[in-house]
Amino acid sequence: MADHDITLTVNGEEYDLAVESRTLLIHALREGLGYTGPNVGCESTLCGACTVHVDGEAIKACTTLAVQADGREITTVEGLGEDGELHPVQESFQEEHGLQCGYCTPGMIMTSVDFLEENPDPNRDEIREALEGNICRCTGYQNIVNAVESAAEKLEEAE
Amino acid sequence: MELSGTFELENVTVEEVWLALSDPVLLAQAAPGCEFAEEVDDPDDVDFDALRAAAADREDPPTLPEADPEEVAERAIEEGDHYAAVLGVKIGSVNPTFEAVGTITKREFPEMHASGEGASSDSSFEVSSGMKLTETDNGVQVDWWAESDVFGRVAQMGQRVMNPVANRLVNRFFSQIADRLTDVGEDSPNVRDRIKDLI
Amino acid sequence: MSIETIESDEVERGKAVGSSMQRREDRPLITGEGQFTDDLKYPREVQLVILRSRFGHATITDIDTSEAEAMDGVLAVYTEEDILASGLDNTIPGDGGQDHTAPVDRHLLASQKVRYQGDPIAAVVAKDRYTGHDAVDAIDVSYERLDMVTDIQDALQKDAPVIHEEAPDNVAFEWSSGNADETLASFDDAEEVVEVDLSINKVVAVPMEPRAAVAQYRPAAEELIVDLGCQSVLGVQDHLSGVLGVPEQRITVRAPEVGGGFGVKAQPYTGHILAAWCAMQLERPVKWQATRSEAFVSTNHSRRHDLTARAAIEDGRIVGLHVDSTADVGGYLTSGGAGVPSGAFGTRLLGQYDIPNAFVEVTGVFTNTTTLSAYRGAGRPEAAYVIERLANACARELGEDPLEFRRRNFIEPDQFPYETPFGSGYDSGDYEKTLDKALEYVDYEAFRERQAEAREEGRYLGIGFSNYIEICGGGAGGLQGGQLRIHPSGKVVARSSLVENGQGHATGFSQIVADELGVDIDDVDIVAGDSDRVPEGGGTGGSKAITMGGNALKEGAKKLRERARAIAAHELEAATEDIVFDDGEFHVAGAPSRSMTIEDVASVAYSGNLPEDIRGLEETTFFSPEGSTAPFGTHVVIVEIDPESGELEIDRYVAIDDVGTQINPKLIEGQIVGGVVQSIGQAIYEDAIYDDNGNLLSGTLQDYAVPRAKHVPEIEWDSTVTPSPNNPLGAKGVGEAGTIATMPAIVNATIDALEPLGVDHIDMPLTQERIWRTVQEAQEE
Repeated sequence: MADHDITLTVNGEEYDLAVESRTLLIHALREGLGYTGPNVGCESTLCGACTVHVDGEAIKACTTLAVQADGREITTVEGLGEDGELHPVQESFQEEHGLQCGYCTPGMIMTSVDFLEENPDPNRDEIREALEGNICRCTGYQNIVNAVESAAEKLEEAE
Repeated sequence: MELSGTFELENVTVEEVWLALSDPVLLAQAAPGCEFAEEVDDPDDVDFDALRAAAADREDPPTLPEADPEEVAERAIEEGDHYAAVLGVKIGSVNPTFEAVGTITKREFPEMHASGEGASSDSSFEVSSGMKLTETDNGVQVDWWAESDVFGRVAQMGQRVMNPVANRLVNRFFSQIADRLTDVGEDSPNVRDRIKDLI
Repeated sequence: MSIETIESDEVERGKAVGSSMQRREDRPLITGEGQFTDDLKYPREVQLVILRSRFGHATITDIDTSEAEAMDGVLAVYTEEDILASGLDNTIPGDGGQDHTAPVDRHLLASQKVRYQGDPIAAVVAKDRYTGHDAVDAIDVSYERLDMVTDIQDALQKDAPVIHEEAPDNVAFEWSSGNADETLASFDDAEEVVEVDLSINKVVAVPMEPRAAVAQYRPAAEELIVDLGCQSVLGVQDHLSGVLGVPEQRITVRAPEVGGGFGVKAQPYTGHILAAWCAMQLERPVKWQATRSEAFVSTNHSRRHDLTARAAIEDGRIVGLHVDSTADVGGYLTSGGAGVPSGAFGTRLLGQYDIPNAFVEVTGVFTNTTTLSAYRGAGRPEAAYVIERLANACARELGEDPLEFRRRNFIEPDQFPYETPFGSGYDSGDYEKTLDKALEYVDYEAFRERQAEAREEGRYLGIGFSNYIEICGGGAGGLQGGQLRIHPSGKVVARSSLVENGQGHATGFSQIVADELGVDIDDVDIVAGDSDRVPEGGGTGGSKAITMGGNALKEGAKKLRERARAIAAHELEAATEDIVFDDGEFHVAGAPSRSMTIEDVASVAYSGNLPEDIRGLEETTFFSPEGSTAPFGTHVVIVEIDPESGELEIDRYVAIDDVGTQINPKLIEGQIVGGVVQSIGQAIYEDAIYDDNGNLLSGTLQDYAVPRAKHVPEIEWDSTVTPSPNNPLGAKGVGEAGTIATMPAIVNATIDALEPLGVDHIDMPLTQERIWRTVQEAQEE
C-alpha cells in the first residue's frame, strides 16, 4: 500500500502523519492521533457516530479518506469546549438528559453545533430533520431535540 | 432469483449467433468483468492461480468477424465441457471478484444450457441458465433465462439492485456479440454461407 | 412537559431521592473523554478479525488458511483445530435454564457445519485491522451447501432440512405452563370464544456500539484481563473461566463505557471469548471490534413468534386464556434462547386482567438464522402484545368499547399480591389509576367524536390502548451485593456489580446512598463495572439496577450508619440506643449540642483505640428481595392513516407508567421514552428479513430501519406511584417498561383507524406497504 504523508490540524494542533490510500479519516483520528471522541457505529455514513467538523462543516469521518482531509482543519468533540468550559450544546445535552449510553453523543453534538450555525432559531421539526443522519438507540431523540432547542436559546443569548 | 429476457440481433442469422455464442474466446471477451475463461477437465479441482498466470501470458486468437469460421467451430464449446473463469462485478456498494466454474449441460442447436457456481472472498452464487435462438424477420431473437442463488455479502448488500444489475450485464453481453456480428453479415456473404454449412 | 433537571450542588442533603439530578455519567461522554472498548489501546495490541459463514446452512469440507498465514502483518490464523489443540473443547455455554428436547452445544469456531449466516469459522490476528480483514478474505473455506430453512413454519414441515441431528424435527424445546385442564374446559363452556392469530416480527437490538473486547494475558502471573462492553462483569468472568479453564479469581473483567446493551450484550459469544483465548496464545493484548455488518449477523436477534391466542368469555369477563406459540431460536440455543420465549414470555400473558384459568404452550424451533435471545423486555413485549391485541379483539367481538372491557377485567387493587395461574406474582398495582390519568391527557369522548367527523371527511383516525404489566426487578431468592466504605475523609465509595449501559446507575445509586448516610451527594462515588472491585451480584438486565442494586446499597448504607452510630456513641460517651441520627448528624437524645456529623465519625473510625467490633466504616450487604416487582401503566396512541398510500402518522403518544418509588424522575422519563421509541421501531419499521437462501437481507442500517429523529413523535410522559411492598425502596423496575407497552397500543390504534375499511387484523411492522396491502385486501373481501 502506498503511503501518503498528510498534514491534519486537529483541534488547533498540527500533525504530520503517514497513511495508506485506504485509511479512513476516522481511523487516522482515533488510532493514529488518539482522538477517540468520535466513534465508529456503522462504517457506512448511516449512523453519524463518527461526525467531526472539517473546515467547520460536519462530515462523517467513517467514509472520508484521511488523504481527503489533508491540509484541513478538523474539530472533534474533544476540541469543542474552550478554556475548560463546555460548549453550550454540550451543556444542554447534560441539562436535558440528551444522552444515555453516550456512544452517539459526540456525533450528535457535532452535527447539532454545525446545524445551529446554519439555523440559529430552529423549530423542533427542523431539529429532527437536521438529526436525520445520526442514530440514537437509547434516548428516543426527545431529549436530544430538547437539548438542541435549549442550546439555540443559549447561543442566541450569548450573541 | 429468477431472471429472463429476450434480446434481438438485427441482420444476422441464427447460425452466426450460434457460432458466436459457441466461441469460448468471444464469450470471455463479451462477458462483462470477465478476466479470463479457460476450459478445465475437472471442475472440482481448479487451480485459478495457474489459469490466471497462463491466461496473462497468452494472446487471444482472433474471433468473429476476423476469425476463420472453421477455426471457431473447431474450438466451439461442447455439451459436457467445463470452464473456469474469473469474473469481477459491481453490485450496489460491493464489487467482488468471483472464481467460477461452469458446465455446458445442453447444447442442441438452437438451444444451449449451462450451469455454474462461483465464489468470492465473502460471497457465492449458483446459477443455471439457458438460451434459445429463433429467426425473426430481420434477424435473431435470443430468449434467455437464468435461475440463481446468491449467498453472503453480495446477497445481503446487493439484493435490492441485483435484478437490474443482472439485466444490464446480460444486455451488455449480447450487445457485444451483436457488435461483432454486424460485420460478419455485411461484408462477406460467403462467410455467412460457410457458417451455415458448419452448423 | 419535560421534567427540569437540577445540578448536583442544588440537591439538598437528605433529599436526593426523588430529585431530577443531572447525571454524573455525562461529563466524560459529552467531552469525548469517556472510553469505550475500542478507545482503549494497550502496548503491543493486535487485532482479531473473525471469518464468518456466508451460508445459512452448509458443511465445511476444508479450511485453507495458508495464504492468510503467509501475509505480512498476520500473526496467526486459528481454526477449531487450534482451539482443540490448546486443550479446550471448543464450546460456548448455551441455554442452561430450561429442559430441552435437544441439548445442543455451540462451537466457538465451526469446523464441520455452519447453521446460520454469520456462524464463526476462523480467526485472524493481525497487526492492524485492515490487514486482519484482508487476511480473512484470503482464507479459503470449501463448503458443501445444504438446504436451508429460515422461517419457523417451514422448519416444522416434515421434509424440512434438519439443522441439528439431535433435533430431527427442528424442535429445540417444548414448554408449557398454567392450569391446562381447567383452561381447556373453560373453552367448552364459554359463551364466547375469541381468537387471534399473530405473527411477531424478528428484530435486532442494534446498540450503537457493536460488540467489542480487548484481552490481555500475563503468563507469569497466569492472569487474564478482559475489557469489554457487556452487561455483567461477573457473568463474563464466570463464562470465560468455564470456557477457558482459567480460575475465576485470575480473571479480571472490566466494562469501560458501554455503548448500549439492551440485553444482547449479556450472553457469551465467540468474539470476546476468542479475544481472550488469542491473548493467551500470543501473550499480548488482542482486541476484537465487530463491524456493524458483523454485529447484524452475529449479535442475538429477538422476539419472533407465531401464535394463536384464545379467550373464553363469560359475562363479559375472560375466564380462560390459551396461547399456543411457535418461537424461533435461530441456529443454536444460545444463553436465554429457550428461557426468553418460554417462561419470560409465557408467564406474563395475563397482563392486567384477572383470569382464573390460563395455559400457554411454546414450541421452540431451530432455523438457519442468527440465534435469538433477550432484547429489552425479553418475552414481555411479546406477551403484552398478545394480551392487549386479544383484549381489543374481545371488545370488538362483544361489540363493546375496549376500555369498558378492560376495566371490567382488571385485577382490582385489593387483589394484590396477585398470583396468576402461571404461578407468578404481582406485588402491587392500581390499573384504573394509570388509565384514568391517561384519560386526563386524552379526552376519549372528544376523540371518538373527532374520529367520527374525520371519517365523514374520508380521514382515518384511530386510538389504541396498551394496559401493560411486566414482572421484573429480580425475585425472591435473588442476591445482590452492595459494598460501602466511608473513608477517613468522610467521602463515601459504594460498589455494585451492576454494569452501566446508559441507564445512569451511578447517579441513582449515589442519590440513594447520600440520603441514607446524610452526606452531600458529591461526596458519594460509585464503583462498578470491574470484577475485582465489586461484590458478588448480578449484571444489568431484567430492570433490576435499582430494585436489586439500589436496595443492596440502601441496606448496606443503613448498616453502615448503624456502625457509625456505635462509633458516635463511643465518642460521645453515650449508649448507642441514645444516639439519634437526623439531618446528617448523630446526637445524644435530649442533648442536641453533643453531636457528630458522619464525617466527624469517619475521621475517628479508623483507630486501633476503638473497640474491635466498631472499628472501621465498611459494610458489605447481600440483599435479597421479598419478590419481584410488577410495574404497569397505560399507553395511548392516536394515529392517522392514509389508506390510499398506507402512510401512518402518530398524532399523539401518551405514556403513564407506574414504576413504584422514583429515585430520579428525569432518568425514568428518559428510560421510558427511549424504550417507547425502540418499540415504535419494531411496531412500524424494523424487520430482520431472510431470503430463502439464508441471507439476512436487512443486515445494514440502510436496510434495517432503526427509527430516526424525524420518524418518531413527541412522547407525553407522566406517572403514578404505587410502591412495591417487596423491597425497602418500594421501587419497581424501569428499564424495559417503555419497550413492553408500546407495540400493542400502536397496532390497536391502527386497526381502530382502519376498522371502517374492514380491517380487523394486521401484523408488525406496520410499513406503508403492509398497511396499503391490508386495506386493499380488506376492500376486496
